[in-house]
Amino acid sequence: MSEYSITIGTLIAIQAIVACGLNVIVGYAGQISLGHAAFFGIGAYASALLTTAGGLSFWTALPVVLGITGLVGLFLGLPSLRLREDFLAITTIGINFIVVSVFQYVPFFGGALGIGGIPRIVLFGERIRGVSFLLLSAGFLAATLAICWLFTRSWSGLACFALREDETAASSMGVSPVRFKLTAFILGTAMAGLGGALYAHFMRFISATDFGFPMSVMILSMVVLGGMGTLWGPVLGALVLGILPEVFRPLTDYRMFLYAALLLMMIRFQPGGLLGENSLARQTFSRLKGGKP
Amino acid sequence: MQLFLEQMLNGIAIGAIYAMITLGLALVYGILRILHVAHAAVYTVGAYVGLAVFSATHSILLSAGGAMLVCAGVGVLIERLVYFPLLKYPPYVPLIGSIACLLAIEELCRLAAGPYILSFPAQLPFPSFTVGGIVISSTLTAVYCISAGVLALLWFITTRTELGLAMRATSQDMAIASAMGINSHRIISLTFMMGSAVAAIAGILVGVYYNQVYPSMGAVPAYKTLALIVVGGLGSVPGAVLASILLGVGETLLIGYAGIPLPRDALAFIAMIAVLLWRPQGLLGSRG
Amino acid sequence: MDEPLLSLREISMHFGGLKALDRVSFDLHEGEILGLIGPNGAGKTTCFNTVSGVYRPTSGEIRFRGKRTDGLPPHRMAALGIGRTFQIVRPFPNLTVLENVIVASGLSCYGRLIPSCRSWKGRKTREEALEILARVGLEIQAGQKAGLLPLGNLRRLELARALALKPHLLLLDESFSGLRHEEIAQQEELVRKTRESGISILLIEHNMRVAMGLCDRLVVLDHGRKLAEGKPEAIRNNPEVIRAYLGKGGSANAS
Repeated sequence: MSEYSITIGTLIAIQAIVACGLNVIVGYAGQISLGHAAFFGIGAYASALLTTAGGLSFWTALPVVLGITGLVGLFLGLPSLRLREDFLAITTIGINFIVVSVFQYVPFFGGALGIGGIPRIVLFGERIRGVSFLLLSAGFLAATLAICWLFTRSWSGLACFALREDETAASSMGVSPVRFKLTAFILGTAMAGLGGALYAHFMRFISATDFGFPMSVMILSMVVLGGMGTLWGPVLGALVLGILPEVFRPLTDYRMFLYAALLLMMIRFQPGGLLGENSLARQTFSRLKGGKP
Repeated sequence: MQLFLEQMLNGIAIGAIYAMITLGLALVYGILRILHVAHAAVYTVGAYVGLAVFSATHSILLSAGGAMLVCAGVGVLIERLVYFPLLKYPPYVPLIGSIACLLAIEELCRLAAGPYILSFPAQLPFPSFTVGGIVISSTLTAVYCISAGVLALLWFITTRTELGLAMRATSQDMAIASAMGINSHRIISLTFMMGSAVAAIAGILVGVYYNQVYPSMGAVPAYKTLALIVVGGLGSVPGAVLASILLGVGETLLIGYAGIPLPRDALAFIAMIAVLLWRPQGLLGSRG
Repeated sequence: MDEPLLSLREISMHFGGLKALDRVSFDLHEGEILGLIGPNGAGKTTCFNTVSGVYRPTSGEIRFRGKRTDGLPPHRMAALGIGRTFQIVRPFPNLTVLENVIVASGLSCYGRLIPSCRSWKGRKTREEALEILARVGLEIQAGQKAGLLPLGNLRRLELARALALKPHLLLLDESFSGLRHEEIAQQEELVRKTRESGISILLIEHNMRVAMGLCDRLVVLDHGRKLAEGKPEAIRNNPEVIRAYLGKGGSANAS
């Protein structure tokens, strides 16, 4: 594998982790969030600061990073309890813009220069780079998926599904909307924080623009395209949207246009996602199995 | 004092231009409950078409007419081809479609006209004034007159005509409006045409005001206008206009005097969150 | 007589200037089926919503099993042992019928951290839910998406979900409306069986024949006030009740 494709693969794995986190919030609990990149960024900045200025190792910093992003997620999940859906959507966009501005303009976060010199991850005395970083990221992705799978099988997960389907009915069955919406926010943002920490130590240099609103749109597109609320959808979405720009790379000038046009076509003709219900993939699969489509 | 007044005048002008873009968004939200991010792309197209027609004919009137026509067409195309088929899905699906539309149209502009900043050297046919030592340029006069005219016309159409009544009926309940004999599909298209034509005017005004036209000129308005329709009260057109003008003035004064550490583009969102904490339904929105 | 299971004392509910409920009081005793009837807009659903925790009453006191419950949120009321159905059915459309019921079986887990992390896919949970579905006659549909069921089945699904809470008190909000004749008979049978299993029932009913036949006692509301209370025969012959219904053109319902 070339160094370049290893880089692409690692970034796809990291983004898939972040997308899984968003899927918990949007797909499982049905709460809209359009500013997920903010938590990706908070994770990255927290880990970068703790390992550079704070002098911690990646592994000791990681629990702190997850705690910080989860807490911020809890705090920013509070509006979801009292805002109407559309207001919430725009509020989360606003949070994204504000977080980026804070990173960009507050000197503590490195200002416009960002943070550089982030140390490599050390595991078993080895500095992790190249293929080993790809494997490490894939390992974390597997762990994230395992947690998502366990969550869907837990009473908390079922409570979130019920809230997504009908909040009034769910609460009449003992499901506290506050408790489980916030559970989903904490879990989802902590996953974004994990992705952010990996990203910081992979790039070793981060700046606020990496975590702007376009990144949020990209992550949401991965979740929606892959199939919201499914286990593997976010991973598939991250793969498709991560590989497409590389496929289009030879087309230089037309690359971004084709990317946008393709995204438009996919959302227009497969709005339920590639793995969602009634998707082409599901229909073909059930036809192959000989069942009714 | 003189500086303050000049800043105020500029702020109101910027607010008026925001208002003309936000207006289309508020109209579309009111009728379809869709966050029409791609509206900013329509505005960019307006600026480019306006510039192209102006370069060919040197007539600002033909330029405005051409841009309005093209933009009305683009707006209706977006509505017919992207939004209408996605209405039955959860709101983030049309939203992603809208964002993809914005990116695709921006890229088309870049491919067609190049990535550079083009200048828009038009002289608008409005007089300039000097009042008490304060110079009001012809461009500023033009922004005031045109935006006031457009807003008054739209206010008239939406509140005093049969079309406006049909629009309000459709936004209340599309199915019932259809049952009452209103062709709601046509009303929706007309709403998009109106909003888009106004966006074209805004595009030309911005192009002339800053003397700049470039492919990503819609990127910042695309999201800032979202904050504005929330501050105004989702779907409330007067609220959107009020919020726009307040923001235009606020931004200009804060940059001019207070020198806040955050960039001015974050201000809209900070204002939005403050307003939501205070009045969750927006400045002029209704509860519900 | 011993302490009532549910008691409402002087409950008022104001929306702006509108008095949806005006000092309504009544008791419901263990093992009873109590019917709440009245013309449209009488305040029946509002009364229900104050009991189930959707609204906090403007004034007054609600006690359930001796404990003050007015102002508690719906999920706390469920935990205390009040199950409910909805007039306009509210299934979880993308979950299966079985999963719909299992959501209610989790009642004891939702309030505590460790149990809420356990799996709901266990065999015991499943079998209990299937048993409840069999009780309402939906076991064949267990694997179907709830969103695809016809109304009659949805009404029974709502009942099944409420039963899975193992409640002391069941609130039935027009559980018979929109049903065909034979479905109404089935549903009546179900409600009777439920009471025999030891669950008390408070129900709102529009269909007078059903309400008269099913309930031990009736409370009549009109314009937010309690108009009358008593056994069905007494209510049937109460001139004020007749006037309230006839005045609203409700004779068709009362027949």
